[in-house]
Amino acid sequence: MGLAFKIETPAATRDAEVVTYRDALLQTMRGALNDDPNAILLGQGVDDHKGIFGSTIGLADAFGKDRVMDTPLAEEGLTGIAVGAALNGLYPIQTHIRADFALLAMNQIVNLAAKYRYMFGGRFEVPMMIRMIVGRSWGQGAQHSQSLQSLFAHVPGLVVIMPSTAESILSSYPWLIRHHRGPVLCLEHRLLYDIGFRVDASPGAERTPAVGSRKLRAGKDVTVVATSIMVLEALRAADHLAELGAADVELIDLHCVSHPDTDLILDSVARTGRLLVADTSWQAFGVAAEMCRIVCERDPGLLKAPVKTLGMAPAPCPTAKSLEDLYYPNLRRLTDDILRLAKGRDDHGVPLPDDASATDVYKRFKGPF
Amino acid sequence: MTHDDIDLDTQLLYETLRIRLVELRIIQLYPSDKIQSPVHLSIGQEAVAAGACAALLPEDLVFGSYRSHAFYLAKGGDLRQMMAELYGKATGCCGGKAGSMHLAAPDVGFMGSSAIVASTIPHAVGAALAAKRRGLQQIVVAVFGDGATEEGVYHESLNFAALHQLPVLFLCENNGFAVHSRISARQSYDLLEHADSYGIPTRLCAKGNDPRAVYDTVAAAAERVRVERRPTVVVVDTYRQMEHVGIGEDHHVGYRSPSEAEPWRRTDPLVNESALVARFTPQILREIDDAVAFAEQSPWPGADALLADVA
Ligand SMILES: Cc1ncc(C[n+]2csc(CCOP(=O)(O)OP(=O)(O)O)c2C)c(N)n1
Repeated sequence: MGLAFKIETPAATRDAEVVTYRDALLQTMRGALNDDPNAILLGQGVDDHKGIFGSTIGLADAFGKDRVMDTPLAEEGLTGIAVGAALNGLYPIQTHIRADFALLAMNQIVNLAAKYRYMFGGRFEVPMMIRMIVGRSWGQGAQHSQSLQSLFAHVPGLVVIMPSTAESILSSYPWLIRHHRGPVLCLEHRLLYDIGFRVDASPGAERTPAVGSRKLRAGKDVTVVATSIMVLEALRAADHLAELGAADVELIDLHCVSHPDTDLILDSVARTGRLLVADTSWQAFGVAAEMCRIVCERDPGLLKAPVKTLGMAPAPCPTAKSLEDLYYPNLRRLTDDILRLAKGRDDHGVPLPDDASATDVYKRFKGPF
Repeated sequence: MTHDDIDLDTQLLYETLRIRLVELRIIQLYPSDKIQSPVHLSIGQEAVAAGACAALLPEDLVFGSYRSHAFYLAKGGDLRQMMAELYGKATGCCGGKAGSMHLAAPDVGFMGSSAIVASTIPHAVGAALAAKRRGLQQIVVAVFGDGATEEGVYHESLNFAALHQLPVLFLCENNGFAVHSRISARQSYDLLEHADSYGIPTRLCAKGNDPRAVYDTVAAAAERVRVERRPTVVVVDTYRQMEHVGIGEDHHVGYRSPSEAEPWRRTDPLVNESALVARFTPQILREIDDAVAFAEQSPWPGADALLADVA
């Protein structure tokens, strides 16, 4: 069992049980296949002994290889096949072991799946899910580590989610699979797979809202809006600062990148007057830029200080660990930025946590993938 | 028209003529700018749709391309709704959001058409996968041009359909051109040999302006797909008489010659069967008049439609 992050959602207070991100995914995939005989899983290696980092393991034995289907190496074709299958009554769930591979399916995702409903005046629905994993660390490099949420969220017609915890998987995937009648893109983070989270295991537990954003921590000094693994980094930063009594952080997990809860964000910024956005991707034209748009269009006067944003360095991802550690935003930088924002000056004098890279903190295994 | 009282050849000719007359009306209307949508006409190719769709059952599904007026109509799509769609009216088959290039009529199994070359081919494969999983007896038809077979997704689709033995009929309308480029300038393979290399049975119909010849080929292929539950590739040789997109003729601009169109024109049943054409034309024109009037009188989609059905 990995680190058990304590996520302060209402669901985590009673009857808490520790569930890993991976097990939440596996439970969700099994549930989808159980609930609906027309649900199928399609992906390279979904039926093998590794089972998409354990998230589909054993499902081919349980449900058969015609429902948990290994596929040819044909990303565009398979997304098109998923669209056609959805049009004729199936619920396909496609997997990409790396998000980078979904770029080969961009035509089907952007030109077809996202538009099938609108372009035909609502005559069709394309209920389907595409899961893709954002790689990071162990030298994944330029083509195995990209975090492409803003490319997808830019396109009307797609629902894009980035689960940061087991809880966020359990509260959104089953709901979206059952109720959303269009394409859902899930960007899962490789480093989160091994981490355990406290989730409410009591029967009929109230889950946080299925989509939209979630407030994970209330605070009065700074609003941090974060995605994916940066949510956990922000929690660590917030705990550190709370321990020192240095700053009180309000943390919002953006979760649904395509449909953020703007009221939640604006309400928070109205109270704190300070916004920091911590995303897993590049800042330009991305989540960071979009959060600034949301605030500036509503009322830039809400801000008492300029916004700060954290993301990957504006370069392709290098492989050397020394460069990789510089490339990704780390806890020390995040904490420092929060303090600069909260204190209004750079020489705040508050001790920072040590800068062990997130890779070392989160990763429970050594390479290769 | 009720189809019970006439023989198959006459029915096929009627359907072919109907498509031709609809497109001739589009040509007439186009200069008025009432149809503000690129039109890819099937004049010269109508018999492919008429023959092929007559060989299908109502529950069979067809996925098309931007050149889909003919298949939409032949599969049973409503003419009034098509005309209204070309006009961009709220009463169009897709509420005015589709235009000529994205016609759809799911109620009769015409499952949409796309302006991205080859992009609906995998949809047909996926729909066939669904038919197999759900135990449906239907077959699924992918309609595309010769140019579409150059796209990678065509290969991906043939491979998957053959691998999983899916009931798909791949129907290639080989008009010899992609826009202004000849097939010989584009393809290193032979369409049928290529399909054969996947273990997919193939059929060729060389008389693509003869609806009965197309019907016979597609009926035999469809029967095999239906019974054996595995894919087939059908190539129908045909000829596009109008320019690639738009309402003009372009036999004199250099990329092709009037003389190569001539054999197709000479064997055009809509020219040769003049008695039948004369007999059916008035009633079809009345139907078209009615559809045009319907489109003219229909309202534009309102602002409420702009953000409806996005996600
Ligand atoms: C992916 C893509 N590439 C290029 C185009 C531009 N284009 C539109 S139609 C066409 C020709 C396609 O030829 P073919 O498949 O033989 O069909 P035809 O138009 O002859 O019916 C091209 C290149 C496009 N729409 N989509």
